[in-house]
Amino acid sequence: MALVEIRNLTKCFRKGDETITPLDNVDLDIESGQFVALMGASGTGKSTLLNLLAGIDRADQGSINVAGTEITRLSRSRLADWRAANLGYIFQTQNLIPVLTAYENVELPLLLLPLSGAERRKRVEVALEAVGLTDRVDHYPRQLSGGQEQRVGIARAIVAHPAIIVADEPTGSLDATTSEQIQVLLGRLNRELGMTMLMVTHDQQVASIGTRCLRLDRGRIIEATPKRHGRQEQPHAMAR
Amino acid sequence: MFRFTPYVIKSLWRRRARTLLTVSGAAVALLVFCFVGSVQEGLRRLTEDEHAQRTLIVFQENRFCPTSSRLPHDYADRIRTVPGVADVVPVLVWTNNCRAILDAIVFNGLPVGKLRSARDLQLTSGDWTEFAGRHDAALVGRTVARRHNLAMGEQFSIGEISVRVAGVFESAVPAEENLIYTDLPFLQYTPGMNAAGLVTQHEVHLTDDAEPEAVARAIDQALKAGPVATTTRRKGAFQASVLSDLVDLIGFAHWLGYACVALVLSLVATTTVMSVQDRIREHAVLQTLGLRPARIFRLVIAESLLMCVFGGVLGTIAALALIASGGMAIGAEGVTIAFRPSWQLGAMGIAVSLAVGVLAAIVPAFQAARTQIVSALRNA
Repeated sequence: MALVEIRNLTKCFRKGDETITPLDNVDLDIESGQFVALMGASGTGKSTLLNLLAGIDRADQGSINVAGTEITRLSRSRLADWRAANLGYIFQTQNLIPVLTAYENVELPLLLLPLSGAERRKRVEVALEAVGLTDRVDHYPRQLSGGQEQRVGIARAIVAHPAIIVADEPTGSLDATTSEQIQVLLGRLNRELGMTMLMVTHDQQVASIGTRCLRLDRGRIIEATPKRHGRQEQPHAMAR
Repeated sequence: MFRFTPYVIKSLWRRRARTLLTVSGAAVALLVFCFVGSVQEGLRRLTEDEHAQRTLIVFQENRFCPTSSRLPHDYADRIRTVPGVADVVPVLVWTNNCRAILDAIVFNGLPVGKLRSARDLQLTSGDWTEFAGRHDAALVGRTVARRHNLAMGEQFSIGEISVRVAGVFESAVPAEENLIYTDLPFLQYTPGMNAAGLVTQHEVHLTDDAEPEAVARAIDQALKAGPVATTTRRKGAFQASVLSDLVDLIGFAHWLGYACVALVLSLVATTTVMSVQDRIREHAVLQTLGLRPARIFRLVIAESLLMCVFGGVLGTIAALALIASGGMAIGAEGVTIAFRPSWQLGAMGIAVSLAVGVLAAIVPAFQAARTQIVSALRNA
């Protein structure tokens, strides 16, 4: 059984009299440990799919099962609990809490879990070490560079050992050099820690760090993994 | 439960100018609220406590100012014969001003023996022997002594009255501490008083089983044939009647107290709304990280509560300190209302701060908790 099972997922938006359907009966499986890059032109529904999987938006139809939990049926509060325990979210812009230090920002998701202070401290230190920011623990977001802020955001996403991490164009607001460093970091986290990731990106080069590449087009998912992985631009078995 | 306390405090500190202005606004409003409350409490003590309900005042009919009420001293003997009367204390009152004034000097002349039995006075300096032994001796209430810097052994004069301080007293009845007591004959025979054989009022103490209104009627009936007609009322009702102008003013002032509460409510609500609107995205991020809407609600309430309670406690403490150190009293017609700090007043100030802190934040907290995460992340 796949870690993520998405079936018949449909999401519509109304814009005046017009109805836009960015996701139309989408099916998708993501195996544990996969690093899935989701590409597509603007407005094709990449972020919508990611937000539905993250449980911060509601589908009009279909089901999303993550590690045995059918999240479309959860109430708002239960969904929040599920996110706290199972989801790491990396934002495009850093979205750190400005009044908290790097350490406190990373610790934030752990405050929602039944962990002792010592356990929280240990986990935060490990997460900050994983992103190479042990020397910036007491810095506030305004005292960090864009790349460092994004690293803190990544540490915050991984610190609770979530079942899946979603990243919404994590390098979209960074310069080329910093973007490359973040790509390397994400790839390493997937390889070394075995973290399952779904990353939305416009950039083919960024997508190449994934172990699997999908393309969203007119509400459908198309498998777009480069040939080195065996397939390219062929409809995925689970995609319609 | 308190894991998010640093976040709440840092969020307030981040906008410290706004927070400090709100806190100081709440402090000033609560200071005024407590001050108004202390005046009301003083009036309530004066008119509603047990002593005020179980003691009668016999006053000259249709007179309100102590300078115009003149009753024969010997009415005391006739009053004493009325069933239900336990004791009668003749009192001659002199005041430097019958109008509402913040610094009224009120002399009460009582027979020395009656003064000890009818009043619960504790001398903080001087002694009763000195008071009983000197014709012009006066016992000065602690508040008056502090306000006019009077000490044991000092001689002072007000108008035609010249006395020597034989002691300073404190009393369980705060209004008493605004009075100066002398021996009754001394005041009656003071030049200019023209009060030989006269008193301003008779204070009637009742037996335990007496019904005050019935005894009051019986006294007026018994004195009906005398040279001066009387009106007898409970001490509380008498004092409320004497202070009627002030009672109206204090009644108006209590609206001022409510206005202060409304002001804090509006001030804190505005600050909280602004804070929530500034942080729509931040609240969406917190929800994405897994904070339940109810927790977001509580965080917003906590911020408002902290500002309000901090300001409220500061204002309440400042008000209580001001009242305690100022020794303020307002008086008219020889009756004074003492402003006194009390635990009840402090508790009321803090309770109002708590209630306002919660009320002011309910709507913005609800808005923050209902934030749609995706649109907030996209648009804010």
